[in-house]
Amino acid sequence: MALFSAFQTTFLLALLSLKTYQSEVLSEPLSLAPESLEVSIDSARQCLHLQWSVHNLAYHQELKMVFQIEISRIKTSNVIWVENYSTTVKRNQVLRWSWESKLPLECAKHSVRMRGAVDDAQVPELRFWSNWTSWEEVDVQSSLGHDPLFVFPKDKLVEEGSNVTICYVSRSHQNNISCYLEGVRMHGEQLDPNVCVFHLKNVPFIRETGTNIYCKADRGDVIKGIVLFVSKVFEETKDFSCETRDLKTLNCTWAPGSDAGLLTQLSQSYTLFESFSGKKTLCKHKSWCNWQVPPDSQEMYNFTLTAENYLRKRSVHLLFNLTHRVHPMAPFNVFVKNVSATNATMTWKVHSVGNYSTLLCQIELYGEGKVIQKQNVSVKVNGKHLMKKLEPSTEYAAQVRCANANHFWKWSEWTRRNFTTAEAAPSEAPDVWRNVKSVQGHCVVTLFWKPLSKLQANGKILFYNVVLENLDRPSTLKLLSIPAPANGTELTLDQCSYQIRVTANNSVGTSPASVIAVSGDPGNKEVEEERVRGTEDGFCLSWKPQPGDVTGYVVEWCERPGDPLCDLQWKNLGPDTTSTVVSSDAFRPGVRYNFRIYGISTERIPYLLEKKTGYSQELVPSDNPQVLMSNLTSYSFTLSWKDYAAESQPGFVRGYSLYLKSKAARCLPGSEKAVLSDDSICCKYKIDNPKQKTFVVENLQPASFYEFFLTPYTSVGEGPQGAFTKVTTPDEYSHILIRVILPMIFSILLIMILCYLKSQWMKEKCYPDIPDPYKSSVLSLIKSKENPRLTIMNVKDCIPDAIEVINKQEGTRKSLTETEPTKPTYLYLLPTEKSHSGPGPCICFENFTYNQAASDSASCGHVPVTPKAQPQLGLLTSSENGPKALGKNYVNSLGEIPAGETNLNYVSQLASPMCGDKSSLPTNPPEPALCSEYKTQMAIPMGLASPPSITLLDEGEHDH
Amino acid sequence: MLACLCAVLWHLPAVPALNRTGDPGPGPSIQKTYDLTRYLEHQLRSLAGTYLNYLGPPFNEPDFNPPRLGAETLPRATVNLDVWRSLNDKLRLTQNYEAYSHLLCYLRGLDRQAATAELRRSLAHFCTSLQGLLGSIAGVMAALGYPLPQPLPGTEPTRAPGPAHSDFLQKMDDFWLLKELQTWLWRSAKDFNRLKKKTQPPPAAVTLHLEAHGF
Repeated sequence: MALFSAFQTTFLLALLSLKTYQSEVLSEPLSLAPESLEVSIDSARQCLHLQWSVHNLAYHQELKMVFQIEISRIKTSNVIWVENYSTTVKRNQVLRWSWESKLPLECAKHSVRMRGAVDDAQVPELRFWSNWTSWEEVDVQSSLGHDPLFVFPKDKLVEEGSNVTICYVSRSHQNNISCYLEGVRMHGEQLDPNVCVFHLKNVPFIRETGTNIYCKADRGDVIKGIVLFVSKVFEETKDFSCETRDLKTLNCTWAPGSDAGLLTQLSQSYTLFESFSGKKTLCKHKSWCNWQVPPDSQEMYNFTLTAENYLRKRSVHLLFNLTHRVHPMAPFNVFVKNVSATNATMTWKVHSVGNYSTLLCQIELYGEGKVIQKQNVSVKVNGKHLMKKLEPSTEYAAQVRCANANHFWKWSEWTRRNFTTAEAAPSEAPDVWRNVKSVQGHCVVTLFWKPLSKLQANGKILFYNVVLENLDRPSTLKLLSIPAPANGTELTLDQCSYQIRVTANNSVGTSPASVIAVSGDPGNKEVEEERVRGTEDGFCLSWKPQPGDVTGYVVEWCERPGDPLCDLQWKNLGPDTTSTVVSSDAFRPGVRYNFRIYGISTERIPYLLEKKTGYSQELVPSDNPQVLMSNLTSYSFTLSWKDYAAESQPGFVRGYSLYLKSKAARCLPGSEKAVLSDDSICCKYKIDNPKQKTFVVENLQPASFYEFFLTPYTSVGEGPQGAFTKVTTPDEYSHILIRVILPMIFSILLIMILCYLKSQWMKEKCYPDIPDPYKSSVLSLIKSKENPRLTIMNVKDCIPDAIEVINKQEGTRKSLTETEPTKPTYLYLLPTEKSHSGPGPCICFENFTYNQAASDSASCGHVPVTPKAQPQLGLLTSSENGPKALGKNYVNSLGEIPAGETNLNYVSQLASPMCGDKSSLPTNPPEPALCSEYKTQMAIPMGLASPPSITLLDEGEHDH
Repeated sequence: MLACLCAVLWHLPAVPALNRTGDPGPGPSIQKTYDLTRYLEHQLRSLAGTYLNYLGPPFNEPDFNPPRLGAETLPRATVNLDVWRSLNDKLRLTQNYEAYSHLLCYLRGLDRQAATAELRRSLAHFCTSLQGLLGSIAGVMAALGYPLPQPLPGTEPTRAPGPAHSDFLQKMDDFWLLKELQTWLWRSAKDFNRLKKKTQPPPAAVTLHLEAHGF
C-alpha cells in the first residue's frame, strides 16, 4: 500500500513537472478551476443547488480542494454570501453544494460564481485560486407568469420562533399593494419598485390551519396570499428504554414530544438504529418499537432512536447489555398445596431467561389485606416455598414475582393465589358468666358466654357443651349441647350447689372448659351502693382487695339498664386487680349504669363485693317534682314533693332550688337573689340535701302574694324551668276573729237555747205578767156591788198637762250592765218631786193645738209607770203592740192607783220605743235622731183643758 | 292576479288532467322543502362562523370579499333577475338539484379536512341535512313528474388540489364554497316560495295539477 502511495506521488509530481514545463512554454498558469457550473432552484425549500466538476485532474487523481462561492442579489456587485467549500475532488466528479436563502428566491434575481484552489498538503505549490467562473444568473421572476401579483414563499413551514422573510412581486407599477398578516397590515422594505420584502421575527404558533398572509392591490380585483405554517418546536424524545422478556424480542419505549400542532404538514417518524449490527428499523408506533434479537446471542446493543419531522431531527442513544435488561414474565403454574391448619406450600414455575440464569422470586403472604410474611427465593425453573406459622381456618393470599437474580432490572408481574388453612380445635375456653334468680324455690341460672374470637375459635364453632355437676352428689352429671351461635342458656336447678363447665366445639375438637359454680346462696347480699363518676373513656371502678383466696374478679353491668333484656355485660379480671376501666360504645349520657363487682372464690363461686352506680355523663334533671303546698299561714307555708323519683333523673340529684317571687325588694333570710332565664329577679333557696322532700318557707308577710317554683339540680345544672305556683298569705287578724267570734256565736246560741228552754222561768223571774184590771175579779165586784158607772180609766182619756223636759246626756252609751234597772227611764209628764230622778233622755213638747182626731193614733205608748210597783218594763217592739200592751199591762184602773200617785207619766206616742227604753240590748244602740224631737200630742178643746178630768172609757173601747 | 289567471288559462290546454280527487299535490312537499331551506340557512350561519374562524383572518372578517379565484367549478347561485323569473319549474328545480349535488360533494371534502372533532361533527350534521334537502327537491320533482338530472360521467366534483394549488387558494375555495352555499339557500328559498305560490290551490279548492313539459 505504501509502495503504491509512493508510486502515485511520484507519478503526480512527474505530471505536475510536465504541466509546469508546458505552462512555462505556453506562458499560461495551470489551475484547477471549477467548470460546468449549473445552478438550480428548489422553491419550496428556498434553496439554490449548485453542481460543477473539475476537469483538469488526472485520472484517478484525488485532491483536496477548496471552492469559494459568491452569491449576489439583484446585481452582481451586491454580494450577499461568500463561502469556502472544501472537499475531495476526483476527475470529472460532479460536486454539489446547496445554499438556503432567507429571502424567497422568487423575490430577487440571484447570481452565483465560484473559483477553486488545491488545498492538499501533498501539492503545496498548487495552493492558489483559479479564475472565477462567470456569473450564473438565477431569475425566477421571469418564469412566474403574467399574474399581476405574487406573494412568496408559498405555504412555508417553519418552527415556532423562527424569522421569516416574505415578499410580494407586483407586475403593475401603478397599483399600491398593501399586505396583511392575520388581518393586520404589514410594512415592508421596498427591494425594487415591484418587490417589497417583509421580515417577520419570532413567528408564533397561531392555529392548525396556519397563519394567513395576503396582499391586495388598491385597484382591481387582485388578492394573493400565502399560508405560513408555524409548527411547535419538535421536542426531544424522553425516557428511551429497551428491555426483553424472553431474550428474543427487545421492546423499546419512549415518550414522544408534544404534537407539532399542525394538520398533516408535519408527520413525525421514528427510526431505531443499532450500531453494532448496523441494522435499522422504521418504527410504526409513536412511542414504542420492537427489535428482534438475533439468534447469535449478541450481548451488547447500542441503539439510536431518531425522531424526525420536516423541520428537525432529534436523536437519543442507549447502550446496554441484553442480559441486564431482562424483565421476566410472570410466574406460571402457581399452586398452594398441602394446606394444613398452620402450614402451606406454594409452588410455581418461571420462564427461562437464558441457560445459566437464576431468578430471584419474591413471595408475599397476605392476611386480612396486610402483608404478614415476605420471603425471597432463588429459582432456576421451579419454585417452592413453605409458609409456616399460619392461623387455622384463616383466609390467606400468596403472590409471587421474579426478577433476574444476577442483574436486577425489573420485577415481573405478580401471580396471586388465595387459600384457606384448615380448622383446629378452639384454643381458648369461652368467657362464661351467670345470673342466678330464685323462682319458686328453684334456682334459675342464666348462663351467658361470649363468642370466641376468630383466633380463639380456630374454625366455625358448631355447638357449646354445658356440663352440670351437682356438688352435693359429685357423681351426678348432666350434659347439655347448645348449637351455635347461641350465646347463653337458662337452667332451672334445685337449691343444690352446682358446678357448670362450658366448652365450645368446632368440627375438629373441643375448647378448654370454662368453670363456674353456683351455690344455694345467690350471693345477693345487701351491699351499699357507691357512686362513681363516668368519663368519656368509661367508668373507672376500683374495689378493696379481698383478704381470702380469690381467683379473680368479675365486673357486671347492663348496657341497657331500663330494658328488661338489659344486655348483661361482664368483664373478667385477675386476682391481683383491684381496679378497671369499663368502657363501651353503648354508654349514653344521662343513663345510670349499675356495676356489681364479684369476687370469684377458689370454688369458682362468685360473691358480690361492691356495687357502683354512675353516669357516663350527667345531665340536668329532665323533670321537676310535683310540689304540694300545706300549712299556709300569714307568715309561712310548707312545700312537699315526696313522690318525686330522683333516681330516674339523668344525673344524681344533688339538691333542690326553690325560687320565690314576691313584691318585697329584699330576699328573706336563707335565700339569695337570683336571676331567671326570663331576666326576672327572685329569691332562691338552696336545699342541699337531696333526701329532703319538704321545705317550710317562713318569714312571709301576711296578706301578700307569692309565687314559687321548685326544681332539682344535678352537678350539671338545674331542671327545666316550669311555671310558678301562686300563693297569697292570709290576713293577720282573720284567725283571731275566727277564734273570738265563733265561741261568741256559740255562747249566744247556747244562751238562746237555754233561754228558750227556761223561758217560763225567765219570764217569771224577769218580767212577770202585769195583772189586767179588766180581768180582775175585783172589777166584777165593784160593778155588781157599788157603782155601775164606775169603770176603769182608759189611758187615752188622759190629758197631759205638763211636759217635762229631760236633758239627755249626749254620747253616753251605757251597756246593759251599766243600766240601772231600778230607775225608770221614762218621761214624766206630770213631774213630781218624787218621781223626778234627774234629766231624762228625751224631750217631749206638749202641743195643745192637737185635735181630738189626732189623738186616735195609737202610736203613742202611754206607760203609766209606778216606779215602785213596776220598775222594769218590757220592750215595745211595735206600735201595734203598744196599745195592746198598754191596755193590758200598764193601764191601771183609777181605783188601783194609790193616793198621792195619781199623776200619770206621759210618754210620747210617736217616739220609738228606744226613746225611753234603756233596757234595750247593747247591740242596738239608741238612735240619736230620736231624741230632742217635737211630737204631736193631741188636740184638746179649750174648755176641757183647764180642769183636769178623768173620763172612764167604755169597756169595749180599750181594746182596739 | 289577472296575469296569473291568464297564465293558467293559457296553459290549460297543456294540463293533462284536471282532477278534483282531493290529491294534495306537490304543495306540501314544496312547503316542506321551503322550510328546510330556511332551516339550513340558519344552520349554515352557525357552521360558517365556526369554520371561517378556523381558517383565520381575513376569511372570518365580515367585509372580506375576495375575487372568485379558483372557485369557478362551484355552481353559481347569482343569476339575472329576468332570467330567474323566466325559469320554468323544471329548470328551476333542476338547477337547484344540480347545485346542491355539487355543493354536497365539495362540502364532504371540507369535512375530511377539518381538524377538530367538533367541527367535523358540525359539518357531518350539515351534510346530512343537505342530503335531506336534495331528497326533498327530488321528491318535489318526482311529484311534478320531472326526471332527476343524471350526473355526467367524469364530472363528479372532487376536492383534490394539485401541487400548484396553494393552501391560501384552498382556503379561498372553502370560503367561496360556504358563501355560495349560503347564496344558494337564499335563492332556493325564493325558488320554492315562488313554486309554492304557483301550486297553491285556488279558493274554490280546485287543485290544478300542472305539468308543463317543455315549456
